[in-house]
Amino acid sequence: MADNNQGSGIDSEVIVIKELSYTYPGGAEALKGISMSAARGERLGLVGPNGAGKSTLLLHLNGLLRGRGSVEVCGIPVTDGRLDEVRLKVGLVFQDPDDQLFMPTVFDDVAFGPLNMGLQREEVERRVEDALSAVDMLYAVERCSHHLSVGECKRVCVATALAMTPEALVLDEPTSNLDPYHRRRLIELVRGLDMTTVVAGHDLDAMLDICDRVVLLDGGKVAAVGPAEDILTDRALLEAHSLELPLSRQS
Amino acid sequence: MHLPEIDKYAHLDSPLRRWDARVKLACLSVMLLAVALSPTHVAALVGLALASGLVLLSRIPLSFVFVHLRWVLLFCLFLLVVMPVRLAAGGSDTFWRAGPIALSGHGLSRATLIALRATGAMLLVYPMFGTARFHVSLKALRRLRVPLVIVQILAFTYRYVFVLLDEAARMLAAARARGLGRAGALRTFKCMGYIIGMLFVRSFERTQRVYMAMLARGYRGEVRTLDEFHLRSADLLKGALALGATALLITVGLVS
Repeated sequence: MADNNQGSGIDSEVIVIKELSYTYPGGAEALKGISMSAARGERLGLVGPNGAGKSTLLLHLNGLLRGRGSVEVCGIPVTDGRLDEVRLKVGLVFQDPDDQLFMPTVFDDVAFGPLNMGLQREEVERRVEDALSAVDMLYAVERCSHHLSVGECKRVCVATALAMTPEALVLDEPTSNLDPYHRRRLIELVRGLDMTTVVAGHDLDAMLDICDRVVLLDGGKVAAVGPAEDILTDRALLEAHSLELPLSRQS
Repeated sequence: MHLPEIDKYAHLDSPLRRWDARVKLACLSVMLLAVALSPTHVAALVGLALASGLVLLSRIPLSFVFVHLRWVLLFCLFLLVVMPVRLAAGGSDTFWRAGPIALSGHGLSRATLIALRATGAMLLVYPMFGTARFHVSLKALRRLRVPLVIVQILAFTYRYVFVLLDEAARMLAAARARGLGRAGALRTFKCMGYIIGMLFVRSFERTQRVYMAMLARGYRGEVRTLDEFHLRSADLLKGALALGATALLITVGLVS
């Protein structure tokens, strides 16, 4: 087993996963004994070919899927009795904004989490304003989600998680379907967040920009762990797992 | 693509837009019921006039109203053609006959009444739901004690009908690009069946992902929202006027 914290240099672990395995009801074995961790303030990338288990792993961080093995978030075990606590600690952003933004307006979507936390109206309104300001989307507060561009939707998706002031932010393919300008803005947004961030995706250039450390998954197992610069510039390693060098490193 | 948004012109300033959504929906629902149940032609005509007046007051463009109203009018036209037809010898109310086919005055009268009621009721939907953003109307419905499950179904339907239409349009475009419609009607119907089936499957999968997204943000069985309604005397005055007009409509129905 590789040293999962290689390159992080940070002691306080926000996410700890030990020997996690998961099999979908149809019989597909998506995760096979995954062990890894993410330190406080660290930006961790999950890369791998299609079907590697990235999205399945992310769903375990919020207790939406439950496999064998253990997952801890901020020292809280992800168990039935503590899901509410865990979901306060982990903000999960889905790949498709139409899944994440289900309320009639941007305000209602961003307020959804804080209202479920039982916060008072003034506090909810403050959090909505803060979260939308953080992603530069305050101007759209009264708009309907289906009137927003994909780039705007992605930013509002991040705001829906930020409004719950989580300890860790988990993003699934945040740059997919974005044009270069909005992709760059989203990368800058994620880089500017002062919290533990786990990002899964195929955009290896974005991973290089965003992440301190990268976990390479393949076939439901951890294939390699290390500093983003080392993993994402190792041509042989990437090609062995159906990936290729980021465009910025291809010469 | 064209999106059937009932609240497209909700931003237009009008006395109806400034009316508290709760009072508006409550009063106009009563009026809609009275229009839909008008017992006589005179009452139905008064109802249609009231509804038309409210549409004009709302400033919603008539072209927009007609886009949706045409389907109701087509249905009414169908009734006007079919309901008077009698195949038997006909009764005393027959006003035209050609061989075995006769046209009944009673049937025509019933069809006209239904057409007037349906058009009036349909027109009233615009001042009710077209003069406030739909999410405001939903919150007003909730405040009017409409069951939560109904309001949630309406909210999710309105949110995802556009996604579904987009998905259907993409699938149809992909099918056309591969020759849909060129291989005969039977084959086309079969393909359309597959597309509709696939839409159901995709919608089901989306519901699962949306549910997970809700759980991830602390959902525990109730969708909570903040709303802000301020009842003013002008809202009550408008409510009184609407109820007065409804009372007049009912009276006309009773005496005519």
